Amino acid sequence: MKVNAQAFFNFCAAHVPLLRQFAERTGELSESEVMRLVREQADAHEELPETTWRRLREYQILVPSEPGGESCLLAEPVARLLTYLYNNANPATPEIIRGYVQSLDTLAKQLARALENENVTVVGLAFNEISLTLRRIHADLDETHQAILAEVGRYKTERQRVSVREKFRRIVYWMERYVEPMIEIVRADGPLRESFDEVERLLRSAREQALFNDHPALERNLRFLRLVGAHALRVFVQCRKEIQPLYESLRRSTFIAEGASRALEKLQSEGLANWGTAPLIGICSLRLQNVPGDAAIALALRRVIEHPPELPPVLDLTAEETAPEELVRRLWLDLLPDHVRPELPLPDLLDWIVKRHPGKDTSAVLAGFTALVFHNDFEARFSEAQPNEYVTANGSIQACPVQLKSP
Amino acid sequence: MNDLPHLGEIFDRFKRGCHLGPDDEPFYSALTARYDDYAAYFAPLGLQLVRHEREFFYFEPENPENVSDTMPRIAVFSYIFVDHAANQGRPIEEFIFGQNFLVTTLPHFTLDRYTALLRQVEVYDVKGLETILRHMERIGWVKWLGPDEFRFLRPFHRVFCKCIELAESASTPTPVQNGTPTTPP
Repeated sequence: MKVNAQAFFNFCAAHVPLLRQFAERTGELSESEVMRLVREQADAHEELPETTWRRLREYQILVPSEPGGESCLLAEPVARLLTYLYNNANPATPEIIRGYVQSLDTLAKQLARALENENVTVVGLAFNEISLTLRRIHADLDETHQAILAEVGRYKTERQRVSVREKFRRIVYWMERYVEPMIEIVRADGPLRESFDEVERLLRSAREQALFNDHPALERNLRFLRLVGAHALRVFVQCRKEIQPLYESLRRSTFIAEGASRALEKLQSEGLANWGTAPLIGICSLRLQNVPGDAAIALALRRVIEHPPELPPVLDLTAEETAPEELVRRLWLDLLPDHVRPELPLPDLLDWIVKRHPGKDTSAVLAGFTALVFHNDFEARFSEAQPNEYVTANGSIQACPVQLKSP
Repeated sequence: MNDLPHLGEIFDRFKRGCHLGPDDEPFYSALTARYDDYAAYFAPLGLQLVRHEREFFYFEPENPENVSDTMPRIAVFSYIFVDHAANQGRPIEEFIFGQNFLVTTLPHFTLDRYTALLRQVEVYDVKGLETILRHMERIGWVKWLGPDEFRFLRPFHRVFCKCIELAESASTPTPVQNGTPTTPP
């Protein structure tokens, strides 16, 4: 149904705030929701809400979201007009730009065939369509740039309580959905540049073959090709530069939030006893124990300093003339097992000692006796025979004979 | 080496677990200017002086396993605060360092979950939070600006580093899942 342009714009002029409300909403609107918005703006003009609702449908500002459905949508042409009026940019998806590139490729092929066949009409048509596509690419790239900048601005200024993780996901979405794929398309060795080069070559060929005589238009297109290519790359590199710091900042915040959240979850689920030391931050704490104070150190130093000097003790370092008695005794005891070993078995150990070492006193005899009785290499046995008397250098010993043999 | 300025006072603070940042003049300037000299002075005593990448200083604890009773309380307090900050719509560090806070408006008792977590470390009321904050002041993490008002100091970055360490140690199944990268910042 045709809409009366005059009536349409008159209505729009009288309902600008309402239209803005529609433009700011995304998705479907129910009748009740529309009526509520209409009533909210009702003070601005003298019109019944029902009339406004009817006219919104009449002028096709709101259209049914599905045939016969109750909910409605802001009509796409109106949405585009409002976007234009409010300078609200919508980003072009990488698929749209790829579509343009494919379209240019197809046109390039048509142009190549037309040049080959010297078909002036097709050359002209292809030329016009190429111009149109280039303008669309330029406009869409610009709009995407604006949309990304607006999004970055919103992140920086919005104060609503959106979690850091949520924000990070959104910024990652923008990076992955728009910026990075766009750079892939528009980079110097990407498909856009390749397609532009081919179109430029064909346009030059058309000029050389004199199949397209509007030289100013042709020059304009050639300039436009170079301009769009360079502009596209610059735009998205700039976008990446805008988003990157935000991305880094949010990435760090996300990690911080995740770490804290994990620590708290563990505490909640496993209790403090099992929380461990991993979530704790180590702090240095030097505990000083039994350390002398400065006064004590000063006193000790003063005592050293004030101590009267005296000669150092003289050490006698000359070798002794006779071996010390204890050393002789030790050596004798150490050698005793070697002396007794060849003579085993012995029926009377004490008898053997006093006879073999007659100069030894009672203490030495008993020490030797003990060393041999408890030696690991020998086995001693006490006999029940009559006690004997064993004479030593300084006395005598009365004892029952003890046999000694190898185990 | 013996001409290191404020050596006694600096050592006295470090040995008690204090962190020294830009708010701790003139020690901070002295440490910034001659960090290598101070580090070399303390090294033979078995004390490692750390210069954090965010420009503050502290002694590395000898045995990280050996922690005081207060540290779990500080950790729970800090993690709850970070958890709260993450929901405020701004980068966490900007939120925490970009403003002053009132003890009475802290988020720690606004959710039952937080209250239960604090109960585990025997913190039951705002008074308990104040005690934690006093301890954090002693180690140079917060500064009181009034009877009820305080702000976080730069050494609080140690909490963020610990959070990142915990996130890093947790397993992450895919390189980028739901927009979350695997490599920590």
